[in-house]
Amino acid sequence: MFKKIQNWFDERIELTELINEFNGERIPARGGWAYTFGSLLAFLFIIQVVTGIFLLFYYVPYFPMARNATYYIKHHVLLGNILLGIHLWGAFTMIFILLVHMSRVYFSGAYKKPRELQWVVGMVLFSVVVVLGLTGYMLIGNENSWWTINVLTNVAAHTPVIGGFLRIIVRGGTETSVITMQHIFAVHVWLLPIVVIMFIPIHIFLIRKTGEQGLPLEYKNSKLADDDINKWKHPDATVPFFPDQLYKDMIVALCVFAVVYLLAVVYGAEIGPMYRPLALNFAPEADWYFLANEELLKYFPGHGLIIFSTFLVPTIGFAILFALPFIDRGHERSPLKRPAATVLGILFLLLLVYLTLIGGEPKAPATV
Amino acid sequence: MTKSSEESPSRRTFMMVVIGLISAIVGVALAIPILGEVLSPLFKKRDIVWSELGKVSDLENIEPLVPKFVPVYFRVKEGWTVNTLPRQVIVVKDITGKLYFFSNQCTHLGCPLHWMPARQKFMCPCHGGMFNVLGKVVGGPPPRPLFVWVHKIENGTVLIQNKFLDNPKERGV
Ligand code: HEM
Ligand code: FES
Repeated sequence: MFKKIQNWFDERIELTELINEFNGERIPARGGWAYTFGSLLAFLFIIQVVTGIFLLFYYVPYFPMARNATYYIKHHVLLGNILLGIHLWGAFTMIFILLVHMSRVYFSGAYKKPRELQWVVGMVLFSVVVVLGLTGYMLIGNENSWWTINVLTNVAAHTPVIGGFLRIIVRGGTETSVITMQHIFAVHVWLLPIVVIMFIPIHIFLIRKTGEQGLPLEYKNSKLADDDINKWKHPDATVPFFPDQLYKDMIVALCVFAVVYLLAVVYGAEIGPMYRPLALNFAPEADWYFLANEELLKYFPGHGLIIFSTFLVPTIGFAILFALPFIDRGHERSPLKRPAATVLGILFLLLLVYLTLIGGEPKAPATV
Repeated sequence: MTKSSEESPSRRTFMMVVIGLISAIVGVALAIPILGEVLSPLFKKRDIVWSELGKVSDLENIEPLVPKFVPVYFRVKEGWTVNTLPRQVIVVKDITGKLYFFSNQCTHLGCPLHWMPARQKFMCPCHGGMFNVLGKVVGGPPPRPLFVWVHKIENGTVLIQNKFLDNPKERGV
């Protein structure tokens, strides 16, 4: 019976061949577990889309109502707390795993020729996913959402020349209003997810075109010189994507999913109080992945220097990350043989952790 | 019969130009209204209203150099709605008896200021900005003194506008 169906499709569109080609991709054999993070990200993104779509059954993107709609999902919709919790913890996990995936790619030099485009497309995905996180934080419509919208649009206003206009365009006027919320909503549920949905296949297409590089330890037996581009295309040993790699991918996906689910059930999503523009003692807080950036804002006082923290440092930082494959053009891949890159990478990660930790400390003494 | 592109290179060029042109026309035709839609807020006039804050006689009785937070409610058009914007006005009387009407928005990135009586300062909970009671920056990243509301006094009543004085980039209230 099954055979018959298969034949029916094969006669017409050679389905089996198509599937075999897709599944047969050769993956470097030694570091399989390190290559699970990419698929894990794709997996987590699918979870975000599915949970997100069903949150829309109840959510309203209107400032005074958004927070109550979210509250309703959490407390009055049957199992809504779990759905909302998965969406929240899934987003946090995704941002964290992005850093893990980027680190693994960075330390194995996998962004070097001929794989520069994979990195650039990856950076697009990274930027978009972070903005998805920020806009999601704003959509809750609670007190932090309100202040995050105001603060971040004020940050945008520090962009040279067009800053003031930018703030008005993003807010849909001079004030944060219904239109602001509607803009954020459209960006969070339509614009950016579509960008991600377009760029993940591009990312994977590129990886299949050049072949996965994997960790440098895949090339121990290679007789080719380091700067021979073919060296990094032919790992010593490979396994097929299906089932060898997918098997590992699925195990990791399950473990991470279990953690996300558990966090969703045990901690759920915190909704927080309704926004009160009149509150006298409220200390706004950014989401954890933004604390490092937030901390940066403290170090550049006064009129002339603000532009450093709001525009120059983030923009230059991002530009360097985007252009990394074109800046670091050495052929060496092994982290031990390129100590400068490795040490810089570690220092950057430490700085990130440090800024996040001190950025998370309470800043305002309680009002007396 | 027209020739195929393989038979005639000029025919091939012509087809390529037509394909390119059609893509460009459709792209531009769509981009124009989309751009208009996105930039539309730049062409909207801001809804400016006056709102009552309180009686001058009451405000003149506050203690000098002790800020008083007084809420004010602006009823303004926002997009397709009419909304009430509740905002805090910081009223300060200096030693000569002059009244100041400050915004409680930090001039750095707009967080709500807290008054710390023990330190005689406004503290910003976001990045540690500090202002003295007369709105001067005394610490942290804020680039300028506190914003002052556009205000006037009519028949003994203080009226506040949803607008700041000296606000070149049109920061919202
Ligand atoms: C939603 C986000 C992303 C998804 C779904 C994704 C997916 C994947 C997948 C499935 C792979 C192959 C398996 C693996 O090595 O893990 C991969 C590899 C890669 N990714 Fe990503 N990725 C994402 C974000 C990023 C980011 C942010 C960067 C860097 C800035 C990046 C750069 C790369 C590079 C250079 C490779 C090739 C590694 C090699 O050939 O060894 N990716 N990605
Ligand atoms: S918003 Fe007040 S110090 Fe940054």
